[in-house]
Amino acid sequence: MIKTLIELARAGSSTPRELFPDLPSYSRGLPMVTSKDCVMGCVKCESTCPTSAITFVSGNLEIDRGQCIACGECVDSCPTGAIESDRSTRVAALTREDLILRKPELALHKKEPLPGQFRNSLHVREVSTGDPASDLEVSASDNPIFDGSRFGIHVVASPRFADALVITGPVGRAMQEPLLRCYEAMATPRLVVAVGAAAISGAPYFGGYAGANGVSAVLPVDVFVPGNPPHPWYILHGLMLGMGHKALGMKRW
Amino acid sequence: MTVDIPKPVLVRALPLEGLADAIHVELGLGGRIAHLTARKRPDGLTLIAVMMPAGGHGIELWEADIEPDATTYRSLTPRVSQVHWYERYIWDMFGLCPEGHPRLKSLILHEAWPSGYHPLSETRDIEDFAEAPARSYEFLEVHGDGIYEIPVGPIHAGIIEPGHFRFSCVGEVIQNLEIRLGYQHRGIETMLQAAPINRLPLLAESIATDTPVGNALAHARAMEQVAGLQLTPAAVWLRALALEIERVASHVSDLGGICADIGYIGGAAAFSKLRGRVLGLGERLTGTRLQTSFVVPGGVRIPLTDKLRTSIGAEAEGVEKDFRRAQPRLLETFGALERMDGAGKVKLSLARDFGLVGPAGRASGIAYDVREWLNEEPYSTLGWEPATGDQGDVLARVTMRCDEVRASLSIIHGILETLPNGNPLPISRIQRLPANSVGIGTVEAWRGELVHTIITGNDGNIERYAIKDPSTNNWTGLAIAVRGRLVTDFPLCNKSFSLSYSGNDL
Repeated sequence: MIKTLIELARAGSSTPRELFPDLPSYSRGLPMVTSKDCVMGCVKCESTCPTSAITFVSGNLEIDRGQCIACGECVDSCPTGAIESDRSTRVAALTREDLILRKPELALHKKEPLPGQFRNSLHVREVSTGDPASDLEVSASDNPIFDGSRFGIHVVASPRFADALVITGPVGRAMQEPLLRCYEAMATPRLVVAVGAAAISGAPYFGGYAGANGVSAVLPVDVFVPGNPPHPWYILHGLMLGMGHKALGMKRW
Repeated sequence: MTVDIPKPVLVRALPLEGLADAIHVELGLGGRIAHLTARKRPDGLTLIAVMMPAGGHGIELWEADIEPDATTYRSLTPRVSQVHWYERYIWDMFGLCPEGHPRLKSLILHEAWPSGYHPLSETRDIEDFAEAPARSYEFLEVHGDGIYEIPVGPIHAGIIEPGHFRFSCVGEVIQNLEIRLGYQHRGIETMLQAAPINRLPLLAESIATDTPVGNALAHARAMEQVAGLQLTPAAVWLRALALEIERVASHVSDLGGICADIGYIGGAAAFSKLRGRVLGLGERLTGTRLQTSFVVPGGVRIPLTDKLRTSIGAEAEGVEKDFRRAQPRLLETFGALERMDGAGKVKLSLARDFGLVGPAGRASGIAYDVREWLNEEPYSTLGWEPATGDQGDVLARVTMRCDEVRASLSIIHGILETLPNGNPLPISRIQRLPANSVGIGTVEAWRGELVHTIITGNDGNIERYAIKDPSTNNWTGLAIAVRGRLVTDFPLCNKSFSLSYSGNDL
């Protein structure tokens, strides 16, 4: 016991003060559309994308991060740098439309968070429906490194105590009813947070006989956290967006 | 320079009535049945068994045709107990009923699914079953004075995958645990059979997203065998590096989980911090924390630069140091030892009967590790020996995983020291697969023996893509481990096995 305490004291704090730091240079991150132009008629990224997250709408490149599973094939295939890796960790959004990326000059205005919606405390119930990697990262967002507790985010054991329902996985046929019943057990106001590409759109499982097409097919979603699995910072960003947390605009905590 | 692909799978046709005996004899000799499933042929169904015969390093596929239009066959379970879940899966997915199965009920498709719908043999859409009544399921009822049931799940109190556990107890003591999974069924085998070739690696690694490297590697090996694709030594070694990093990260994460389940928060914090550091190794190697989209058929997607190689090496040394400090926090703390010692014991004889694999099997005394069995590179060059145990309790499984972390860290060190030069990227990409070919990819993933089987048809399309996650073997081990133990020991036992729900649900 004494040894454990000594060991913990020796290790000290491992929580960085910086909020939402950029990913390291070797990290792949999510793709983003830059202001560089595409080669005329080039559709390499569109044809290489395994989940059809990339489309050209009247000649303009669009990436749907809700379907993107962050494989990085589009970045590798792009000849001009029109698609690049995005090292930002502030990637969550409050509408499905806000996950669709366009060239900076064509970008739409994103929905802003409501200030202080949950008064800087959010009790979270997690429901997993088929994406254990995202579960691991949700757990990691409360570990000593990311420490979600300092922002008032706490994981609770029952939907009865929860303000937010965090859902990972594509919600196949057999999980639809349990998920709905979990949601109905919650008091209002409540948030629904879809964590990971599978939860947002069902990618890469969509279209099968199991009807695993994401949370939106079952419940209204308030916050979308892209990634496959999302980085713990992405998850914290999503939860804090949903809360309208005062630290959202801060660089340090 | 390239590495030879494994010799083609030997396919043996057996008469159906002789299959159970042949498997029984092979197991008696020290061989293994890695998977039993079925596939469609034009006029009926065929049972297929992936066998790892004793003595050899090869893999065999045993096939036994079921008579055309037959909807039943004699169950193999009475003769070979470890196939009991496989046969229930065959019944769900193909509608082929194993007669004489001692506990025949659905494994994956329960009340949420229409009766009569068997996805892998069905030609109609599920929409055509809108009028069909829902399937039914009956739990095993334990009779006697004072017996009561505790139903748990599918949604649990922690951050964990969904599944239903039905405990039948007297007082606090568990008499029987029935495990009912299938909640995350996504129909992934069907998707893998229909998807274009460029989507396959991605779908394969999404089978159980907490084991992306293991699944991608099993897929890659099966595809390489089907297509006769060669790869470079550098590719083989880098794939092993990713696999070992995944093993260390997963074991460390679960050691933290064990601490949390005991209520030992100091230990949990130390291990969850360490997990972050291990993920950093994988992030340097592959670009993502969980190492997704890295292993592909024919090689890997990203070469390792000298700079990153040095930085992984330095960081791995730090991880080793941290782990040496963290391990005694769990294994030398009296309170933790007292909880783990003797809890959730699985005897060797039962572990053998039910074919337990991976760390759980080795903790009960089954010396079986795919890396050693296949005598594969780079393990044979690095001169490595798998960890072994014999007590079969929670402590043995936890000790086993600590031993494996240290062994894997020394393998990681060895790989970084002696990584062969050369290009690890695929030499060529698979455009299409040859007709009537078989590939079986076997990997010692962090949970144990993971098997992907690919069989192509006359047109070169994938006719059957079968997946066996190690958890399918080991779930029965958990049910055995908790019998006669207190209900409060369940979370600890469950975490010591740390099984995959989605890998089993497919």
